[in-house]
Amino acid sequence: MNADSWIIITDAGRVGGLLDAARKLGAGVTAAVVGPRDLAEAVATAGFDRILWFAVKEGIPAEAYAAQVADAAQAAAPRVVLASDASTVRIILGAIAAKLGAAVASSVRALAVEGDQVLVSRAIAEGKVVEVLEVAGPLAGIFDGDDVDWANTPPAAVEEITVADPGDGFRIVESQAAGAELAGLLVAPRVVGTGLGIRAKDDLKLIEELAAAVSAEIACSLPVCEDMRWFDAHRVVGSSHNQIAPDLYIAVGISGQPQHMSGVRDAKVVVAINNDPEARIFKNCDYGLLGDLYKIVPALTAAFKTA
Amino acid sequence: MKSIVVFKWSRNPQDARVGSDGSVDWRGVKLAASDDDPAAIAIARDLAAGGEIVGLTIGDGDVAWAAARGAARTVVVADAQADVNSAVTGAILAAGVRNIDGADVVLLGDSAWDYGVVIALAGQLGWPALAGVVAASLEKGRLRVTRKIGSGTQVLEMTGPAVLAVAASRAEQQPPGMKEVLAARKKPVARLSLSDLDVAGVAAVTSRGSKFPDTAPARMIDGADPAAAAAQLVAALRSDGVL
Repeated sequence: MNADSWIIITDAGRVGGLLDAARKLGAGVTAAVVGPRDLAEAVATAGFDRILWFAVKEGIPAEAYAAQVADAAQAAAPRVVLASDASTVRIILGAIAAKLGAAVASSVRALAVEGDQVLVSRAIAEGKVVEVLEVAGPLAGIFDGDDVDWANTPPAAVEEITVADPGDGFRIVESQAAGAELAGLLVAPRVVGTGLGIRAKDDLKLIEELAAAVSAEIACSLPVCEDMRWFDAHRVVGSSHNQIAPDLYIAVGISGQPQHMSGVRDAKVVVAINNDPEARIFKNCDYGLLGDLYKIVPALTAAFKTA
Repeated sequence: MKSIVVFKWSRNPQDARVGSDGSVDWRGVKLAASDDDPAAIAIARDLAAGGEIVGLTIGDGDVAWAAARGAARTVVVADAQADVNSAVTGAILAAGVRNIDGADVVLLGDSAWDYGVVIALAGQLGWPALAGVVAASLEKGRLRVTRKIGSGTQVLEMTGPAVLAVAASRAEQQPPGMKEVLAARKKPVARLSLSDLDVAGVAAVTSRGSKFPDTAPARMIDGADPAAAAAQLVAALRSDGVL
């Protein structure tokens, strides 16, 4: 059975993880890059068998090319097409799925082949369990499994696929990148996250001291911003706000709701401090400190200062 | 402007009962409007400009949900359920949209409960589509749409018909009161069945069941002695190369 796959790419996020998952199918993996040429060239060193590049005109969103990318996918007929869950690329994936008559699965963690079937493991029930699905025909998967660093390989040739001008019925009028006040948080190697375990605004001083001791930026969960109004929205980490990938994320008094944890899924090490042994976050971290944060945080601050 | 708001097309994953063997029991769990559905219908109200909002849904659960929030009428594909294959659910909803006909815009919650349904619906309709939408307005007959992209935002113009998948950034601010809820029950509901629709075929999916993931458990440190716990963590982070 030919289990060739395509990975649709509109940004460099999670490419390593996508490629790693697709390789488990034991067949060819093609990158279909929809965007600027330098994105295609960057991805060309990731280890794909082929790099197809669909040039996107300045001021036109990648989604405007969805039908053309879908036509190209239909001609190539890969068995599996994958994309990350970023809002732009999954729209293109949906167009491809419809063209191929593919099954669609979200929260894909892993892929495998068994005879003529593609097996897809996907997370359900807020990631508490993983369900295995058998797919008899083509599959379009939205991947949110682990990201991995990609090994730099000699670059594959970038093959440009001719696209027709989609016109300007669908165009970008204005773009606003993240503001300066957010820029630090997005690239910080260390971040301390604040949750509702903090009881009063004055207690945030504990968080500030911890962050200073470990040279970290401060972030928060959505309720701390929305309900308590202790931070503005720029500091919120979660699926509706910011996704960050620090080397170290210390979650203080955060219960670990999936919407928040999805914002730090690419953090290298997650430390959770919580006094509830049943807290969801303890199933989703590398180190869990069970106890009173009002005692643990000062102790940690002191330990980091002398580290 | 005729808007179709697609609502209540998934079960709430929080309602899943997970057994000690990792199996999931959904018995008795009805379909529910997602956390993003209110944001979708709020934008439909912004765009309405005297036009009609039609609610479209499937299966069980609160069929009057959209009517309580501004929909003039609702269409429900009564014998459809949320399928294990998101493409099937998307195809049914797309067929429902085509059955209603004449829509200028289709809105639905861009819900993490199942992004697969969102993209399958948009893909099946084949219209220009955007996800992560936070606002929209009509300017000279074209849609002007604001969406989040990464940590920034973009404003785009689209010519309809279009699909907008709307992402909420906060909980529903003004849920309908008793008056709206009671009035909603009097609004028309058209009940369709799958046999009334032309649903596109997609590759078949079978579930083998579920189990707990293989992820390594967290290293738990007892914080009863905070200083000792802190020292233990710092040593571990150092040996991990993080410090």
